[in-house]
Amino acid sequence: MKKFLQIALGIVTSVGGFLEIGSVTTAAQAGASFGYKLLWAILIGTICLIFLVEMSGRFSAVSKHTIVDAMRERFGFPFFSIVLFGMVLVAFMVLVAELGGIGLSLQILTGIGFPWWAIPVSFVVWLLMWKGTFGLIENGVSLLGLVTICFVVAAVKLHPDWHHAARGLLPALEGDQKAKYGFVAVSILGASISPYLMYFYSSGAIEDEWDVSYIPINRVIAFFGMSFGGVLSMAVLVTSALALQPNGIDIDKFDQAALLMTTALPRWGFYLFAVSMLIACLGAALEISLAISYFFAQGFGWNWSESLTPSKDARFCLTYTIIILLAAVPLLLHIDPIKVTMISMALTAATLPLAIIPFLFLMNDPIYLGEHRNGWISNSVVGIVILISFVLAVISIPLQIIGG
Amino acid sequence: MRTKRLLVLSLILAAGCKPPTPAEQMDSILSWIGTAGMAGDAWLRHTTPDTYTRQTLELSSETLGQISKDLLESPPAMVDTAALHRVLTETSKRITRMAALISAKDAPDFARQLDSLRTDQKTVKALADSIEAKQ
Repeated sequence: MKKFLQIALGIVTSVGGFLEIGSVTTAAQAGASFGYKLLWAILIGTICLIFLVEMSGRFSAVSKHTIVDAMRERFGFPFFSIVLFGMVLVAFMVLVAELGGIGLSLQILTGIGFPWWAIPVSFVVWLLMWKGTFGLIENGVSLLGLVTICFVVAAVKLHPDWHHAARGLLPALEGDQKAKYGFVAVSILGASISPYLMYFYSSGAIEDEWDVSYIPINRVIAFFGMSFGGVLSMAVLVTSALALQPNGIDIDKFDQAALLMTTALPRWGFYLFAVSMLIACLGAALEISLAISYFFAQGFGWNWSESLTPSKDARFCLTYTIIILLAAVPLLLHIDPIKVTMISMALTAATLPLAIIPFLFLMNDPIYLGEHRNGWISNSVVGIVILISFVLAVISIPLQIIGG
Repeated sequence: MRTKRLLVLSLILAAGCKPPTPAEQMDSILSWIGTAGMAGDAWLRHTTPDTYTRQTLELSSETLGQISKDLLESPPAMVDTAALHRVLTETSKRITRMAALISAKDAPDFARQLDSLRTDQKTVKALADSIEAKQ
């Protein structure tokens, strides 16, 4: 019974914690600009994420190591420091975007511009980290995040042509706007396959003291949780294709995305969107701040645990304090969070090999995993998706820059 | 050495950045007119708050004005520039007026302006199609 409850909670929190400003913005932009044509990017991103999350949980449950800890041990500090620099830089940009997402949600609800919210929002995130436990962050915010299911309700209420939508699940080339199509596809992949989620999940498995008996539970949570999360992203894309595209709206600003559900859910759509984004971005901001701190603490061998009091892991707490403070600065300078989101998602995709290839080596290492190491299916699926993301990023990012 | 190469590559990319084409600018203009129309329609149905709708209309008008200015500085060939200028200016002013009507809570006049905005949208769409066809 206890394990059944853990599975249910794990799935529920995965659903609630899946959406954030990156996945919503990229899916909404894809739907508004290309209709259903980019559903395939969400599909392959979700499949890859299912495999990666399952691997992260399995790795920690079997080896009793976090990914970061093992990466430093296995590859040495010089290589680890390169990964650290790349991952922290990208995760920091995503954190700026998430804090900005909370600010933008409050902006559309109150009319007060997002830069004014930068400090209060950062303070609340910091306070939750300082006072909260891992359980509170993992379950509390993610349970509230279940409100994002409203995107599925909105998509269904707009009566999409399911046959037409299903065709979007097959990758196809776009005739016009090839660079933009590639860039949005890369951004969707970057938003779906977030390496910080792996570090967070792997550290969570250690925080929750998983062992080998958790492997089946981990598999169920990874599959159902991430699949439902992928469905939420697809629902955003479908809603956008049906509500925004017919009006010729191409999302440049958050104010435009806020109209997403006003057609399907006239009474509550606007408020549900704002609240969903607020909660989703808050959850993501907490997870990313934790992931960055885990990265530093595990990499440098400091004490770490979100469930310890700050006096027992001072350097861990100091790291997220500094990171959150720094992330507020670009917002105070009026840098548009939507632009930061799009750039950071594309950069995430471009840097995926840096995060994933060493992880694949670890997942095939018998010293850490023994008989539980990866099979060829896991290696192939993840390898192919990472290759596609990287090639698309290398081609489309320069084209998008040149195209202005 | 590698850093130098990266710097040179970045400079080449930056130098290669070109402004958007007239067709892309017209798409952006249509997107903002669509935004104003959808936000206005939502306000009339009491589904969005006054502050958000007013700010979105002001943002639409401001962005539309900026893109129109850039577009008309080097107008696309074979297009009636005077007609383009007239419709874009009128549309931008209309959206500003709609934002003001929200403060006055004048729904009937707002609805009339929204109807006119739909007409403007069709005119701009026709001009955008002709620009795209000539590119």
